[in-house]
Amino acid sequence: MNEYDAIVIGSGAAGGIVACVLAEAGKHVLLLERGPQLSFAEVGRDHLRNQRLAIYGHNAGPEPIGNPRVFVDPNGLSRIVKPYELDYHNNAACLGGGTRVYGAQAWRFHPDDFRMATKYGVPEGSSLADWPIPYETLDPFYERAEWEIGAAGDGNSIQHQIPRARNYPLPPVPPNPQTVALQNAARQLGWVTSPVPLLINTEPYQGRASCIGCKYCVGFACPTDAKSGSQNTVIPRALATGNCELKTSTIVESIETDGRGNVTGVSYLVASSGATRRETARARTIIVSAGAIESARLLLNSRSSFHPAGLGNEYDQVGRNLQGHLYPRAYGLASDKVFNGIGPGVTIATTQFNHDNPEIIGGGMLADDFIKPPIDFWYDSLPPDLPRWGIENKRFMRENYTRVMHVRGPVQDIPNPEGRVTVDENVRDRWGIPVARLSGTTHPATVAAAEFMRQRGEQWLRASGCEKVWSTQPGLILSGRQHQAGTCRMGSDPATSVTDKWGRIHGHDNLFVVDGSLHVTNGGFNPVLTIMALAFRSAEYIAHSVL
Amino acid sequence: MNPETLRAVVDCLIPPDDFPGAYDAGVCDYLKRLFRTDLASRSGFFRAGIEGIEAEALARWDTAFAQLTPDQKISTLAAIETGDVKATWSISPSQFFEMLVNTTAEGFYSDPQQGGNRKAVSWVMTGFEDVSDS
Repeated sequence: MNEYDAIVIGSGAAGGIVACVLAEAGKHVLLLERGPQLSFAEVGRDHLRNQRLAIYGHNAGPEPIGNPRVFVDPNGLSRIVKPYELDYHNNAACLGGGTRVYGAQAWRFHPDDFRMATKYGVPEGSSLADWPIPYETLDPFYERAEWEIGAAGDGNSIQHQIPRARNYPLPPVPPNPQTVALQNAARQLGWVTSPVPLLINTEPYQGRASCIGCKYCVGFACPTDAKSGSQNTVIPRALATGNCELKTSTIVESIETDGRGNVTGVSYLVASSGATRRETARARTIIVSAGAIESARLLLNSRSSFHPAGLGNEYDQVGRNLQGHLYPRAYGLASDKVFNGIGPGVTIATTQFNHDNPEIIGGGMLADDFIKPPIDFWYDSLPPDLPRWGIENKRFMRENYTRVMHVRGPVQDIPNPEGRVTVDENVRDRWGIPVARLSGTTHPATVAAAEFMRQRGEQWLRASGCEKVWSTQPGLILSGRQHQAGTCRMGSDPATSVTDKWGRIHGHDNLFVVDGSLHVTNGGFNPVLTIMALAFRSAEYIAHSVL
Repeated sequence: MNPETLRAVVDCLIPPDDFPGAYDAGVCDYLKRLFRTDLASRSGFFRAGIEGIEAEALARWDTAFAQLTPDQKISTLAAIETGDVKATWSISPSQFFEMLVNTTAEGFYSDPQQGGNRKAVSWVMTGFEDVSDS
């Protein structure tokens, strides 16, 4: 049987970093990824099957057949969902995880995001809590993620991220006509704006080329490999040490414990030429980095007489507080063309409304958007009073695809313990493992904040001179999706949290969760840079204080 | 399923002007492929819907759908969209119509590799792609 210092489960935003830090510290690491390594051509440019618009399938996994989940709607009716359905709350399943196909916005959370309960109090029905660490603790690790993964932007213009020791290593993406209109409008409204920080090479960096401005960023892979994710930064570094063994298309079935309940290794399944082989590997430390839904599922499926409800679940906390972001979206019809065909498209943001809004708990960031392929635009962005078919619809697409301005942004999720991941014994995946069952919703306070942000989006577009403005407002739904977080949150009390402030599961010496699951709250920002910063921090701790 | 009916229907949903309509852009090829592959399980539903449109034209105008005047075609489809039908339907007319509108738009606006959007006409039309860019 193979023995390692550490087994890392999942090669996404967090797992890649953990494997890299441990391997570079001389530790012997096994990195397991459920999906395959996907080339640019394999990810492809299918407009109906990608991580942004998935009508009939996905371009970065999981496979549509054999990977079901169960979704329970607000009326309590459950149904089996496929990976490309919205209620599946999918994230990519391939080497690099979501970072293979993400938009790569590189936001730090706001300092107040780490102290939500103290700042706002806890609304009834919510499990809102402070993080066990303040922003200042994460600050050096944010910087590390910005420099080692490679962020582009102007840090000194982001109002809530000042002061900062170092700016980003790369300059921001260039403005487009929409940027200028939004910038002028913000100035008129008295709002502060900044370029959107992105983990994209705007100049050659770390041996990879720069962005060529193609129109396929979020949801797709990068043709010049200028978009930085785990698969082209930290995983190659980990492998270069010779200390890290990578197994792709490998499904972890359970975390193994010994006769005293101590974690000893993992049991996993490898598919080779049609047959499935079960293998086990032992390690001194196990790090679960499978994403908020799959990490919770794995812990809940790792049961023994010592841990009858699953690992770390003595207090029924694993899988609770599933969070993501509601996304209010606003659109405006500009008098002139604002589209210049140069991607990624997202250029300008305001963090003016992330906190201190009247009557609202939290708030969110607002930004322009990535370029939308026309079919995505047709589904997402048309005015509600436009007929869905006929010459009027075609004329709108023809005249206004390049004139519609887009503003959207993630709203801070107020956690609800009933928004959760459990496992369904009666529904199994192709490997025979019980699947994730998703139920509940976010808290109503999130919807109130989203409505406030929707109005700010409309306000911004009106001030930009748009003659017609429209918007969409999310309802009381479960959030999660690609920003999924919160299911194994950090804290000091085992009755209300799953891990300590390092991601170590309460009651265990050598079992860690390191991914978005740790987020006590998920900020009003794209969460990936925070996932990366936490991964650097926990990995350093594991490398130097645990192993 | 009558191909003339389908052709006339998709050209009502996305009509030709100085850019091609749905039929010339290859939407029927897209639909054929889609209902043989991803939506194979819904092909019976879709066929019943197209037959429903034909039956609706006969019930209202005693004329095949493809032979109706433009205004007659539009009013017939608008009635089906809201479920205000005169013929006997074996499926929900409004659910079918929503699927028809969405899949027609997919064939017209998505990537040409799907079978529709021939020569990327809709991308040129919208400005997503410069003519020189393809």
